[in-house]
Amino acid sequence: MAKYISTMKKYQLGEFEEVVMLTVGVLYKDAYGVSIKKEIESRLSRSVSVGALQTALKRLEDKGYLKSFEGEATEERAGRPKKYFQITALGKKAMEYSKSTRDELWSAIPKVAWKFMSPQTTADSRPWLVDEKIWN
Amino acid sequence: MELKNNVPPQLPLRFFRWFCHPKLLKYIEGDLIELYEERGKEKGKRKADIKFLGDVLLLFRPSIIRPIEGYEQLNNYGMYKSYFKISWRNLLRNKGLFAINISGLAIGIATCLLIMMFVADELSFDRFNKKADQIVRVVLKGKVNGEIIKEAVTAAPVAATLKNEFPEVLEATRLRRVGTPKISYQNNTFRNSQAAFVDPNFFSVFTLPFIQGDAKTALLLPNSIVITKEQAEKYFGTEDPINKLLEFKDVKEQYKVTGVIENVPANSHFHFDLFASMEGLAHSKEDKWLESNYFTYLVLAEGTDIKAFEAKMPAIIKKYMGPQVAQLGMTFEKFQESGNKIGLFIQSLTDIHLFSDFVGSSELEPGGDINSIYIFGAVALFMLLIACINFMNLSTAGATKRSKEVGVKKVLGSRKNQLVHQFLIESFISTAVAMILGVLIVTVSLTLFNQLSGKALEAAFLLNPKVLGALLALGIFISLLAGSYPAFFLSSIKPIAALKNRFSNGGKSKGIRSILVVFQFVISATLILAIIIVSQQMSYIQDKNIGYNRDQRIVLRESYLLGKNENAFKNQLLADPRIESVTMSAFIPAGPTDNNMTGVWVGDTKEDFRRTVIYGIDPSYIPTMGMQLVTGRNFSEGSESENDKVIVNEAFVKAFSLEGNPLGQSINQRTDNEGSYSSLTIVGVIKDFHFRSLHEPIAPLMMRNDPYGGLIIKSKTNEMADLIESIHAKWQAFNVEEPFTYALLDELYNETYLAEQNMGTILKIFGLLTIFVACLGLFGLVTFTAEQRVKEIGVRKVLGANVFQIVSILSKDLMVLVAISFIIAFPLGFYLMDKWLQGFAYKIDIHWWVYIVAGLSTLLIALFTVSFKTVKAALANPVDSLRSE
Repeated sequence: MAKYISTMKKYQLGEFEEVVMLTVGVLYKDAYGVSIKKEIESRLSRSVSVGALQTALKRLEDKGYLKSFEGEATEERAGRPKKYFQITALGKKAMEYSKSTRDELWSAIPKVAWKFMSPQTTADSRPWLVDEKIWN
Repeated sequence: MELKNNVPPQLPLRFFRWFCHPKLLKYIEGDLIELYEERGKEKGKRKADIKFLGDVLLLFRPSIIRPIEGYEQLNNYGMYKSYFKISWRNLLRNKGLFAINISGLAIGIATCLLIMMFVADELSFDRFNKKADQIVRVVLKGKVNGEIIKEAVTAAPVAATLKNEFPEVLEATRLRRVGTPKISYQNNTFRNSQAAFVDPNFFSVFTLPFIQGDAKTALLLPNSIVITKEQAEKYFGTEDPINKLLEFKDVKEQYKVTGVIENVPANSHFHFDLFASMEGLAHSKEDKWLESNYFTYLVLAEGTDIKAFEAKMPAIIKKYMGPQVAQLGMTFEKFQESGNKIGLFIQSLTDIHLFSDFVGSSELEPGGDINSIYIFGAVALFMLLIACINFMNLSTAGATKRSKEVGVKKVLGSRKNQLVHQFLIESFISTAVAMILGVLIVTVSLTLFNQLSGKALEAAFLLNPKVLGALLALGIFISLLAGSYPAFFLSSIKPIAALKNRFSNGGKSKGIRSILVVFQFVISATLILAIIIVSQQMSYIQDKNIGYNRDQRIVLRESYLLGKNENAFKNQLLADPRIESVTMSAFIPAGPTDNNMTGVWVGDTKEDFRRTVIYGIDPSYIPTMGMQLVTGRNFSEGSESENDKVIVNEAFVKAFSLEGNPLGQSINQRTDNEGSYSSLTIVGVIKDFHFRSLHEPIAPLMMRNDPYGGLIIKSKTNEMADLIESIHAKWQAFNVEEPFTYALLDELYNETYLAEQNMGTILKIFGLLTIFVACLGLFGLVTFTAEQRVKEIGVRKVLGANVFQIVSILSKDLMVLVAISFIIAFPLGFYLMDKWLQGFAYKIDIHWWVYIVAGLSTLLIALFTVSFKTVKAALANPVDSLRSE
């Protein structure tokens, strides 16, 4: 895996993956499947399917950005243990890299560019919001 | 109720447990249950159930699903995967052996496939007829005054008589050839359609589907005609052909098109383009039993015993032919007593193509030959066998190198059948690769093969489900056959022996390998023998003095179309200094020709009549054709008195026992049925020449001074193209509507033996391939031997052996095997080739030196193959081989 990362694009992080990483960070020691899902849903008001989330978590863990450990088994999960996630040092680097590239891009936009933007483009009309609302 | 709310729906859960990656299962399941319980409390069970199902379905994605070869499974997929991996690596490690193995097998499979396609096509002849198994043909065989009579045609009344006499004859139909008449529709005139007269019920016997018109009624009326689709397009283009009139120019009769059929399938024993109604043919209704012109087909009731039916024929002959024989002046009983036989025989429709042995013009079309089917089938089988044997040999040989691998595996707990599987998988991989290669070779070489075999085979044939099934079965069979020996042999090695490398290739496996090598070389040597004999016979045909000269002779068969102008044309040709002579005759000793036969007798012995071929020639025929008079004289030019003179061939003299004084004898020929006859006087005897193929003995022949038909030109120049160009120009000056056609006599001659030549070429190609494959095997074996004995060779070299000694040590064993194979190959080859030569009336003798040549060349080829490896092994530096260990 390490070889893969070093030869391929450095610190590649998808949009949803970045959201997951950030949420894991927000939840700190309480980041497991359901809590991450709820946190994203409440903070970003977008719906997240278990499948999408677990896929992202697995991929991030495979990439070495997250590490996991088994938590205690509780009554309410029919005795199934929780799998808690934590950001690794590599994960942190990836997040920082992601953020810095965004910032760079933001700062590179000439001020004048905003003047030509149509005023209708607001946060409420983002189409993917509608698409993801099936299971909520 | 409360409790039930806590339990998620079982079906999705079970599904999830089934597909989920085991490492993730308990955590995700926990998440799902947590969410389910929460939702159940908030929104009720139903909604929670649906959500749960949705979550499970959305979890069904690649990163969550357990991998196929997976994780802690209970099956052996992983094991098999490793077999494939090991097999593939092993095959790649021995690239040379692998290539030899695969290419040998691929060539074997390709050859086998090609030949199977050829054989399948040959066997499919006439099978397209729905009643194929019930249709028979009535043929005529007999012996009259010492002459063998064999005709595929019978007398006109035979069909109707058999139908009336026997209830088991459900249908009887006849066909009479017309040849290629000149036919026109408006401005379209052609002379290249094969036409035949057929009885109205012809199409209810043969399955030739109608596109237009009705099979039952199309030919009921005289002058109606059914044509093929191709002909309809040729004459009428896009017009509707029905009820159009086709004019037969030669007889100035018009035929109305009443039906259009699909083209006659390629695998039919006849290929006519036009079927005219026989209703208008007066001759077909006459009760003449002594003239044979009609191909007669019967549909027999299902389950009719052909032999029993055939046994009823003599009575029919006696009842109907008897009285007519008696009219000739001899009662039928007396006719039979004097050793004459004549009879009708029954031939199955499906046997016509391959088994019919009616020579020359008596048969509708030259058929196939069952012997060539056997020969090709044998070649295909042997080729495949050799390839499989190679495969077995090489795998066994190569596998001994892997005894350590087997030992280690066994120590680590491999069971015997696991090892068997591993070796079988290797065999399957190689076979699959070879199979694919083989099919590729077939597709690529099909065009060439079609050219040689005169077939129109298509690669699409291989996609037929039955063929695909057969291919698959063949593949499995080959892999089992080739893989079984190494698989079972190696898997039974004792691990300690294997690891100590005490395992040797042992006496048993060596014995089997020796037998296999002998077998391969029996086949190779037989094929070399066959190739030599076939080429000898072919060059014998080429070089045989056939009694006339076929070089620089141009044949203009159609020049009679010039009519009155033909003589003027001939004189113009004679004026050309490049032309030595021109003769007018419709009789050509090779290729399409007029063919007249009549019964004649010499002197007063009326009963001893024999059928004789009659040639109509002019005085320049004999010099133009380069024939030789043995005694007597040629016809003299421009004399009326020559019309009752005749020149006969030596075979005629012999048949009538006229040796001594043939000249002046009178030959009598019947002119009607009442007993009047005309007499001809022999003025010359011509040296026998072959006017039919060399398959047939030279028959009695007489030549009359009766020139008609086309022209044969003897040219002085070798610049044929120029000469033909100028002849063409002269032809066009006469303004005939016919196109100018010509042929070269030597080409016509060669075409007669095209089938044999093509068979020879096919045999050569396949023979060489077989030998090549056998040599591949030998090469593989010697490679193995050299590697096994590398230390021995090293020691020998150190002790002073020279290269020659080492080469001979390595080759000796194999050469002995090759020599042994000759003992079996030569009698076998002699037997087979002698049988093939029986088909020729004029043939070579098989000389003793042929065996020496075949043996030496096989031995040399083998030695040459082996030398690649042995010399290399002998030249190797002993240090390299002795250094290790």
